[in-house]
Amino acid sequence: MSSTVLRDWNNRSNKIERIWLLAKIEFKLRYYENKLGLLWALLKPISEIFIFYVAFEIVLKQGVPNFVSFLFIALIMWNFFVESTAGTIQILNAKKYLYEYTNMNKLEIYLSTILSNCIGFFFNLSLFLIYFQFLDNGTAELSLKSLYIIPIFINLVVFSLAFSLILSNIYVLAKDITQIWLVITGVGFWLSPILFKLELFRKALPGVDYLNPISGIIINARNVILYNKNPEWDLMAFGWVYSSFLLFLGLILLNKIGSKAAEKL
Amino acid sequence: MKNSTALLAKNISKTFYISEDSHNTVKHRLFNLFNPPRKKKVSALKMTSFEINKGECVGLLGRNGCGKSTLVKLLAGVYPTDTGYVKINGSTMLMNLGVGMSHELTARENIYVSGSVLGLKIKEIDAIFDTIIDFAELRDFVDTKIKYFSSGMVARLGFSIAVNAGADIMFLDEIFAVGDMKFQEKAIKVFESSWIEGKTVVLVSHSMDVIRKYCSRAGFMKNGEMVYFGDTEKAIELYMADNQ
Repeated sequence: MSSTVLRDWNNRSNKIERIWLLAKIEFKLRYYENKLGLLWALLKPISEIFIFYVAFEIVLKQGVPNFVSFLFIALIMWNFFVESTAGTIQILNAKKYLYEYTNMNKLEIYLSTILSNCIGFFFNLSLFLIYFQFLDNGTAELSLKSLYIIPIFINLVVFSLAFSLILSNIYVLAKDITQIWLVITGVGFWLSPILFKLELFRKALPGVDYLNPISGIIINARNVILYNKNPEWDLMAFGWVYSSFLLFLGLILLNKIGSKAAEKL
Repeated sequence: MKNSTALLAKNISKTFYISEDSHNTVKHRLFNLFNPPRKKKVSALKMTSFEINKGECVGLLGRNGCGKSTLVKLLAGVYPTDTGYVKINGSTMLMNLGVGMSHELTARENIYVSGSVLGLKIKEIDAIFDTIIDFAELRDFVDTKIKYFSSGMVARLGFSIAVNAGADIMFLDEIFAVGDMKFQEKAIKVFESSWIEGKTVVLVSHSMDVIRKYCSRAGFMKNGEMVYFGDTEKAIELYMADNQ
């Protein structure tokens, strides 16, 4: 019954096609406008891994086993979050052409942009998995538990969408949110367990793994992929409640402020 | 709303608050917490209600600044109303000097994006793609970004998308000023070749001939108020008297 309703809705509406079309165009604009293309997407985490490897393993000798994989998985998650939030603060301004002349639902603009970021993420994730499975020595094998990465990643998408909605709607009223968010993500990077051993991180910053939404995501992504363990269930459940609340807040803002974007921007 | 109704506006109004100071940053807002910006109130549209039926062509008349464009944006669902509500039965498209197109995209991409936003499926856009390009006379520039187009080329593309893809309800705001004389003739021909028949259109124009020719009903606006809504000749008469 419900599948018939869904199929019927999909046949009559072109929403899914439209979101996919906009996502493809966005992706093309981002990566195919320059000669290096998709390589740029990979160059960023690789250069970061190189810098942090030198700093934390060679100079500071932190002693994290398989530090490259440890960093790689965290960085692609973190970069996805930053690109989907900092990169979309001005989305209502940049995509004004889509809603200024029609009654298109603005939420579709956000969904297509995040979908385009997902394409980039899957590219990076595939390369990570190839490195982890075939090139990195002494790591646990991928197992069925690794499939928990799917709900973890969806949780990350919900967080990113929620922050994207909140920030871009604040932008309608306060343009300097762009700079403020840059500072927050700058601090947030060092308050996430991207570079440090989890025990050290938890000892030094108790409670931050719950407060910083991306911490839980990174901790659980490492658990299921690197260590062949189950996710920390309480952290995962908290992440879903946290992200649902933020998404709800973001949708309220879109309804209250975003609806006036055409006249305010 | 009845099934034959395309658009229902009930008690809608719109007021803009134009701030003299720029309070558009967090810093500015914090430092001026107890010194709120002075705002000027502009009643762009005073309380009005009306209904437009499916397949009807309605004209909007009034001098510059009387609120025609604000009304059109409210009806198209681009602006939210302050009071009342607008019920729209289908997709809308507002067309003035241009339609929604990104200058970063090519003509091809813009056609697909606009067509999709207007509710068409990719297969349907594939079917009318060549017609849109040929009508806009842009065959050689299909894969050129429209930021390299002249303003006339952009306008032609917009017009061609609107004419060939079209939304359920079209708002045409002074569109006969698009392109050179040859293109204008072509645009008028499209209108006359029964394009407008069967479509729900709200037409804003200062040309009495255009309004008289296509509109079954018309509204006359003055100072943000819908003074009259009904018979086309009567609305034209009021508009002419206002211009005396």
